[in-house]
Amino acid sequence: MNAGAPRVFAPVLREVERGLALPIPERLRILRELEFDLEELWGRLVSEGLSAEEAHRKALDALVPDTGTLGELDRLHTPLYKRLTRHLTPGRLMLAERSALVLATTSVLLAQGITLLRLNLLQDPSPFMWPVLVGGTLLFALGVTKVFQLWIKGDHAHPGRGLRTILGVSGLILTMGISGIILDLYRLSSILERTPELAGDLTSVWLVRDSALLSVAIILALAGGLFWFILSQWVAVVSGARRELLGLSLRVHSHLEDEDA
Amino acid sequence: MTEKDFDVQAFARDINELLVLSTLRTGPKHGYQIGLDVETDSNGLFRFRHGTLYPILHRLEEEGLIRGSWSKAGGRRRKVYSLTGTGERHLSGETNRVQEIVSRLMHVLRRPGEAPA
Repeated sequence: MNAGAPRVFAPVLREVERGLALPIPERLRILRELEFDLEELWGRLVSEGLSAEEAHRKALDALVPDTGTLGELDRLHTPLYKRLTRHLTPGRLMLAERSALVLATTSVLLAQGITLLRLNLLQDPSPFMWPVLVGGTLLFALGVTKVFQLWIKGDHAHPGRGLRTILGVSGLILTMGISGIILDLYRLSSILERTPELAGDLTSVWLVRDSALLSVAIILALAGGLFWFILSQWVAVVSGARRELLGLSLRVHSHLEDEDA
Repeated sequence: MTEKDFDVQAFARDINELLVLSTLRTGPKHGYQIGLDVETDSNGLFRFRHGTLYPILHRLEEEGLIRGSWSKAGGRRRKVYSLTGTGERHLSGETNRVQEIVSRLMHVLRRPGEAPA
């Protein structure tokens, strides 16, 4: 109804958003609801004869939550994880979270090792297999941390932070795998130059070894790349929604938050 | 109901919730319309200011007493609330409770020195 009031409340909504320590989608739902109501009330007051400024002031007074109300909204929409852990001190909570991360990462490392052992791929592995596996473990730790931060803890202060690292580690794993094969081939050719009679035995062993290296590197890099893609798409969607509502990008907002801090 | 059950602050909050529930009996509405109807129906006695309506709506939604759904109006998204079956039953039960509280209060106010029945 209020074509005359497009986004006039965006600065107010930005101010309200600063008072909400909630996940971005939750914040946006609250702000979208508030925006619609503000525009409706503004339009009604203007149609009743008030000046645009007076209608604006009255609409803000009636509908914009004060600090206490924002705190209540925050409490109502706090993620379950934060509700369950609010009795813990920040130090204890951090210790518990880091311990859980180390435990999960160690479990994955063990699971990776056991799987490769069962497939007889670690009996005589390429020396480059180890850094690839370490990279895969690091990738898992980064992924779990990000998922935990965004969707369990609901900490959306910097949703895009760490995404490039995930992509970088994925690329590094693939690079290590391919470089490992090239270096292995050089090593094999130098051995065969000195002892050509071993060609029959060594070639098949090294072929299996390097195939394993390449397969593991590709699988881990693909998993990391896929994870990065999904996460960056999510950030893009959220960023688009915020830009539409507040006229800000996530990057700009993070910058503002840093300034505030 | 015993004296132990009664908490004035909780009662005030309950009244706000009941006002919201009762205005939704006439059909689904968005937040601002709910506030406006409460104000109009009570001749300006009850008024939600500084966004105090939103925590009430969201709490009722979380408790399943009302249902919030998003729809498009004039190209803009808006959230519309409607009363659920649980909300209707809650409203009915709580209206009786409020009636009892008010009648006991009036009894005390009108007959000072005597305990309410």
